[in-house]
Order: sequence, then structure tokens, then C-alpha cells
Amino acid sequence: MRVQLQIFLGTLLLAVTGVILVVVGFTEEERMARFERYQKAQAIEVGAALFEINCRGCHGLRGEGIPGLAPPLNDAYFFTERLNEVGWQGSLEDYIIATVSTGRQVSTRPDRYPGAGTPAMPTWSDRFGGPLRDDQIEAIAAFILNWETTAVNGVELATLPAPAQESDDPVARGQAVFEANGCVGCHTIEGVSSGTVGPNLTKIGETAAERVDGLTAEEYLRESILTPSAYVVEGYDDLMPKNFGDTIPADDLADLLAFLLAQK
Amino acid sequence: MLKSLNFAEFRQKARQAIEQRVRIITAGLSIAELRALLRGEPPTEKPNPRYRVHVTSFLFHIRPKFYMRGSTIFTHTFRLGFFTMFFFVVELMTGLILMIYYTPSPSEAYGSILNLMSNVPYGKLLRDLHRLGAEGMVIFTALHMLRTYLTGSYKKERSFTWLTGVVLLLVTLFLSFSGYLLPWDQLAYWAVTIGTSMADAAPLFGKELNLLLRGAPDIGAGGLLRFYLLHVILLPLLAIWMISIHYYKVAREHGISLPAKFEEDDLPKDVVKEAKRRVDYLPDLFTHELFLTSLGLFVLVVLTAFFYSAPLENIANPQQTPLDTKAPWYFWWLQGMLKLGDKTLMGIILPTLIFGLLFAVPYIDRNPYRQAYKRPIAVALGLLATLAILTLSYMGLPEYGIETPAAARIIQDLAPEEGLGELRAVPFEQLRPGFYQVNVDEPANLCPELDFGCPDLEAVFAEFSERVNRAAEAGQLPDVEAVLVIEEWQADLVKVTPRIVWSDPETGVQKSYERHIFLHRDRDRDE
Ligand code: HEC
Ligand code: HEC
Ligand code: HEM
Repeated sequence: MRVQLQIFLGTLLLAVTGVILVVVGFTEEERMARFERYQKAQAIEVGAALFEINCRGCHGLRGEGIPGLAPPLNDAYFFTERLNEVGWQGSLEDYIIATVSTGRQVSTRPDRYPGAGTPAMPTWSDRFGGPLRDDQIEAIAAFILNWETTAVNGVELATLPAPAQESDDPVARGQAVFEANGCVGCHTIEGVSSGTVGPNLTKIGETAAERVDGLTAEEYLRESILTPSAYVVEGYDDLMPKNFGDTIPADDLADLLAFLLAQK
Repeated sequence: MLKSLNFAEFRQKARQAIEQRVRIITAGLSIAELRALLRGEPPTEKPNPRYRVHVTSFLFHIRPKFYMRGSTIFTHTFRLGFFTMFFFVVELMTGLILMIYYTPSPSEAYGSILNLMSNVPYGKLLRDLHRLGAEGMVIFTALHMLRTYLTGSYKKERSFTWLTGVVLLLVTLFLSFSGYLLPWDQLAYWAVTIGTSMADAAPLFGKELNLLLRGAPDIGAGGLLRFYLLHVILLPLLAIWMISIHYYKVAREHGISLPAKFEEDDLPKDVVKEAKRRVDYLPDLFTHELFLTSLGLFVLVVLTAFFYSAPLENIANPQQTPLDTKAPWYFWWLQGMLKLGDKTLMGIILPTLIFGLLFAVPYIDRNPYRQAYKRPIAVALGLLATLAILTLSYMGLPEYGIETPAAARIIQDLAPEEGLGELRAVPFEQLRPGFYQVNVDEPANLCPELDFGCPDLEAVFAEFSERVNRAAEAGQLPDVEAVLVIEEWQADLVKVTPRIVWSDPETGVQKSYERHIFLHRDRDRDE
């Protein structure tokens, strides 16, 4: 009798297990689709973080581009016109992955961005000596492509008023200005940034006074930022944007100068 | 032509032919005998064909002919050894299928797991089964060992069975651990990096051993391939070999031990005789095993289909060490020991001693009795060791004994680098853009524009506020200002920045710690 009970229960359990498996089977299609969405969402999240670390210095915090340094990646032009302009046959995703992987040695728009003689954008793929793995570049591409909805439909996302970073130290505030205006993309200051388009500014607090006869360090720095063409450092092209006078408010400029003067 | 066909004769011939086939397949059992077997009726032929099967069939040849009634009592074995074997078979089956979809190279491995999850029907279930089965096997092996220790079943002639058992424990642990690396995610990569770095501390040949395991100074393509081959070839073969010996000793040589009371106490003769009565493999043990197998399958499938999801973190990143690296739970005790002393002593010498001691248990313990009250020291030591393992495991947790700076700890707990955490569990709709300041904004009614408010966000913010204030009171974060910033970043993507600013208790310099967490709407937070 006991034997039969076990056979009966065993069969019952197996049958229920089978039913569960069949039910699971019916929901698999949906589960897989859900996982694929999840996977894409995760790629976008990962890409966003990587973009912030690697690309914002040139392409801006939100991909809006920095005049004179790197083009916007979040505007309608990039999503609708750009492929025609360069004559790219494949998809936009391929274009992004290819461009980012290999970098860009020569600018396609040397009048607007650096890249005549100096590389416009470094290589990123570790296959070509860059720092990123291919899966990371694919994640960044997913993130950039996710700008399409807002770009094409002209949606403006609300930005918060800049978090009140109440620092009473003008040097600290100046560093924030330096980081927010794309200077980091072109200039190296040890511990702050690693751009190579313009001169290294790690010791600019010392050298500034000796650049131009008759100008104090502060006067020289003000001139370098507001009218960069007035004095072009030897060995460099006149690539620095000319409109900082319009984009950086006077208070911020004062902080920025304090920060630069402190680099000794 | 048709008329000459004798129908009755044809039927008889067909029946004979079928009968013959069945006997070949079942190694000698007739159809009637099979039916009697399943119904629990006595054998239909003489001599008993059920015994002959043990000679003619390989699979039955390696099973016991009978156990004694007393040793099949459930509370004697709890079927722990059986279920260990059950899990091992589950691992073999699911593992063989997983192998089809898996590519053991750093550039492909993680992707092949993603592909398994998103493109293979039942792929997730398979992976969950394999992962849960592995954990089950480790648990059941340990419990099985504890049981044989407490019933004193390792004594005398069963010493060697115990010895092969300890080898099996090691093989099981290494099987599990080698499989741990294969998904090539952060969890795996860093756990195994730490694990193999232990080999580095081995005296004399530590460097070489580490190199042998990793295939290079760091785990990369070579290391992954080595772990893969260990996991799918060497260790399974070793396990099969050892289980064969282990089980042969049990099933064909000594039988399962009788509960000690039948051998050591003065019980009435008929009770002892009843305990020693044979229980034949066919049909009783066999049907019982079938039942246990269906029960095991049922439980496993229910757990994996409805409750359990095998973890999968971000892809391995050798450049980024996660804040909390954690060994798999069955090695927490080792991680705990490492916090107590240096790597060579705690990571290599002591564990070797511990396992050496385990091997030697039957040879050290010369007490001939098996009942617990007749071997109080052995039982006490066993329980003490179990307790020690549990305590050490607790100490192995990353929360224990590692000082993470307060601000980093708070933010890490809120939104861990790997794994879910409370912040990621907040539904996307509730992540309203805003600038939520601790001690300025009340963690209530944060999103008046939402019909149902944002209780989960409020809970997270409340928790954040509370932990910041607690740390401030404890003097870790003087002059603290903390804020949770949520910004709309893209369509369906927000950026969350928890930021803590404080002045250093010693130098008074202002410091700040923050983390940027991007959260997308489609990131299914239920799974
Ligand atoms: C040193 C500054 C710099 C950095 C850092 C940089 N880029 Fe660029 N990038 C450029 C410049 C300059 C161009 C445009 C060159 C041209 O016009 O041909 C460009 C072009 C591109 C393009 C093609 C845009 C178009 O309209 O053709 C993409 C996509 C791109 N970058 C993505 C990235 C990503 C992703 C990163 C981060 C991994 C990154 N960039 C980092 C300078 C930079
Ligand atoms: C597109 C790249 C680019 C960006 C963006 C840029 N610069 Fe420059 N900068 C240059 C180049 C190239 C030079 C050297 C040529 C020159 O002197 O104009 C230079 C020169 C300078 C110098 C003079 C350095 C010396 O050694 O005399 C200073 C100071 C300076 N930049 C500050 C800034 C600051 C501050 C910002 C941000 C507000 C900034 N730059 C943004 C490219 C850039
Ligand atoms: C892969 C791991 C293992 C498998 C598959 C396995 C399997 C089995 C099975 C099926 C039995 C029959 C009794 C029962 O079901 O409890 C058994 C008995 C036994 N096992 Fe294991 N075992 C494993 C690991 C171990 C370990 C780690 C030890 C101890 C160190 C051990 C020691 C013993 C002993 C001493 C017996 C004899 C028990 C008795 O006669 O009462 N085994 N094993």
C-alpha cells in the first residue's frame, strides 16, 4: 500500500511539475522580450555613466557640444542630417560605434572643431589603444541614440537650477567653472583634467606673468580667455573658442582666474 | 492471401515478441512482473527475477540489493546523501545544455549569458536551475556530512567512506567556485580574483600556483578557459569517480549504517530482528527513490519558476574594484578567517589543517561507540565546529570589520554598485526631478503632483536622512549637508545624485562624496 501511495504521489508531483513547465513555456516569449528591454535599459544606464566620465569634457555634460571643441550629439541635426553630410551608408548606431572606436584623426569640419593636424577625437576602443572595451562603446552608443526622441521632437528637458554649491573658496568655485565650460577637454591640469589640444596649465600661475611683456599674470589670463587670438602660444594653433566673454558671467570669470592663478 | 492469415496466432506471436523486447529492455522482467512491481505485489516468477536484475543490468548492478529496515528510517539519514546525488545529476543535465550556449572567452562569455536569457526559451529557467542546484548541492553535502558525523557512521569499516566523502566535499566546493567565474560579471570576477590571490599566499610555490590557476598575472582569457575546463571536465570527472567509490562502499559493501541504538542498546530481540530485516531494492527502495526524485524536481521547478533568480551583475571590469567584494556564501567562513590574521596563516595553513583534521576524523576518534551520549566530546566538538563556521561566516560579511568611510557607506547601502539596493527599487514614475535636501525637506509629500504620491522615494529619502543624521551625531560627519538630486537626463532616463558634504573631523577641510546613478524606465525592478 505504501509503495502505491508513493507511486501515486510521485506521478502527481511529476504531472504538476510538467504543467508548471508548460505554463512557463507559454510566458517565455514575453519574458524574453522583457529581458531584452531590460538589457537595453541597462546598456543605456551604463552608457550614461561612461559618457559622463569620458566624453562630457568635449561633448558637454548633456551632449550639447562645446563650441570650438566638439559637436553636439543631442540635436536634431545629428539624428537627421549628419549621416547624409558625411555620406555614411550604414546605420547611425554603426556610425557612432565606428567613430568612437577609432576616434577621429582629421576633423570633417576643421573650421569649427580642432582636428587639422592634431587629432580631433582620440581613439576609444582598446583594440586601437584606447581605454574602452567594445561592450562599453556599444553601451555609450545606446545612450547617445536614446537622445533621439527629445532631439527630433524638440523636447527641452527641464534642467534643475544648478545645485547651490556654497563654497566660500573662490579657487574651488573656479575649478567648477573650469570643469563646466569645456576647458578640461583641451587643457591638462594635473589632478583635474587631461586635455591635450591646448597647453598644459598645471603651472600656469607661474608662467602667466612671463608670457607677454607689460601684462600681469591676471591680465594675461583674462586676455587668453576673452581674446585668445591676441597671443597664441608657440607650438599651438589658434583653436580656443573666442566667445567665452559671452558665455562666462563676470563672477564666474573672477573665480576662474583665481583658480588658474593658484596653479603653481 | 488474406484468408490464410490466422489472427489468433498472429496476436500470440506479437505478444511474444513484445514480451521478449520488454525483457531485454528491463534486463529480464516480464510485463506482468513490471505491473506487480509497481503495485507492490510479490514476484510473479521463481526464482525471484528482481534479484537477477542486479546481475544482468549495469544500472541495477551498481545499486544495493537491499538495505536493512533500520537504516532506511527517515530520521536516520534524512535522505541527505540521496539528495546530494540528486542535485549532482541535476547539475550534470542542466550543465550539459548550458554548455551549448556558453562561450568561454572574456569578450563573449557575458554576452552569451545575456543571449541565453533573452533569446533561448527556458534559458533563464535552465540557468536558475543550475545555479540553485549548485547551492543545493553544497548545502546538502554539508548537512550530509554533519549527519554522518553525528550518527557516528564514519567509524570502523566506514572510515574510508568518510575519507572519500571529504574529497567529495572539496570537489563540490571547487565545482561551485569554478562555475562562479563563468558568467564573467563583476561579482564573479572579483570573488575569483580574491579567491585565487589566496593561492598566492601559499608558502614555497604560491606564485606558481596562482599563475597556474589564472594563466596570467591577472584573470583573463587564459584564466577563464582554465576555470571553464576545470568546471566542465576535470572536476565533474573527479566527482563521478569519487562518488562511484563512495557509493560503492555504501551500496555494495557496508550498507547504510544501522541507527546506533539497534547495535548498542539492549533492545528486545524481535525489535532488533525487525530492524535488520531486509528491504529489497526492487520494488521498495526503487519506488521510494522515484518518489524522492519527483519531489525534488517539483520543489526545484517551483522555486526556480516563481521565486529564485540567479544573480547577474554588470560585466566584469578589471579596472573597477567594487566597494564590497564578496565571496560566495560557502566561503564566507574563509573570508572571516582572513580578517583575523595574515593570508598565509589564515588563508592557506589553517584551512589545510582543518581539512586535514576532517580527513583524519575516523582515525583520531577511536571511541568505538556511536550513540551521542556515549561520545559527548566528539558531539560537542562537532557542534562547536558548526558554530565556529557560522560565526566566521558572519564575520566574513563585508559589513563586518571593514571600515568604509561613513559617507561612502551610506550611499553604497542606498545604491550599491552591484545588486539592487533601495534606490533602484523605487518605481520609475516616483523618481520626480527635484533637489531634496536632508533636514530641509521633510520626507513626506515629496510629489504632490502624483495622484498616489511617491511613498517609495519618500522611504528612501527618509532612510538617507536618518543615516546621515545618525552619522553626524556620532561625530563622523560634522557640519553635514546632504542632498538627493534627481534630474531628467534623457527620455525615460533620470540621473540620481546622492551627495554628502562635510568637514573632516580631524583637519576641518571640507570634503564631499557623491555617486551618479542613472536609472531607466524599462529596467524591470521586480526581477
Ligand atoms: C578631445 C575631445 C573629445 C572627446 C573627449 C570626445 N570627443 Fe567625440 N568628437 C570630438 C570632435 C572634435 C568631433 C568632431 C570631429 C569632426 O567634426 O569631424 C567628435 C565627433 C564625435 C562623434 C561624431 C559626431 C558627428 O557629428 O559626426 C561622435 C559620435 C562622438 N564624437 C562621440 C564621442 C564619445 C562617445 C566620446 C566619449 C567616449 C567622445 N566623443 C569623446 C572630440 C571629442
Ligand atoms: C577647443 C579647445 C580649447 C578650449 C575649449 C579651451 N582652450 Fe584654452 N587654449 C587652447 C589652445 C589651442 C591654446 C593655445 C593657443 C592660444 O594661446 O590661443 C589655449 C591657450 C590657453 C591659455 C594660455 C595658456 C598659456 O600657456 O599661455 C589659457 C590660460 C587658456 N587657454 C585657458 C582656457 C580656459 C580657462 C578655458 C575654458 C574657459 C579654455 N582655455 C578652453 C584650446 C582650448
Ligand atoms: C558529492 C557529495 C556526496 C554524495 C553524492 C554522497 C552520497 C552518499 C549517499 C547516497 C550515501 C547513502 C546514505 C545517505 O543517503 O545518507 C552516503 C553515505 C555516506 N556518506 Fe556520503 N556523499 C557525499 C559526500 C559525503 C561527505 C562530504 C561525507 C563526509 C565527509 C560523506 C560521508 C558519508 C558516510 C560516512 C556515509 C555512510 C553513512 C552510513 O552508512 O550511515 N559523504 N553518501
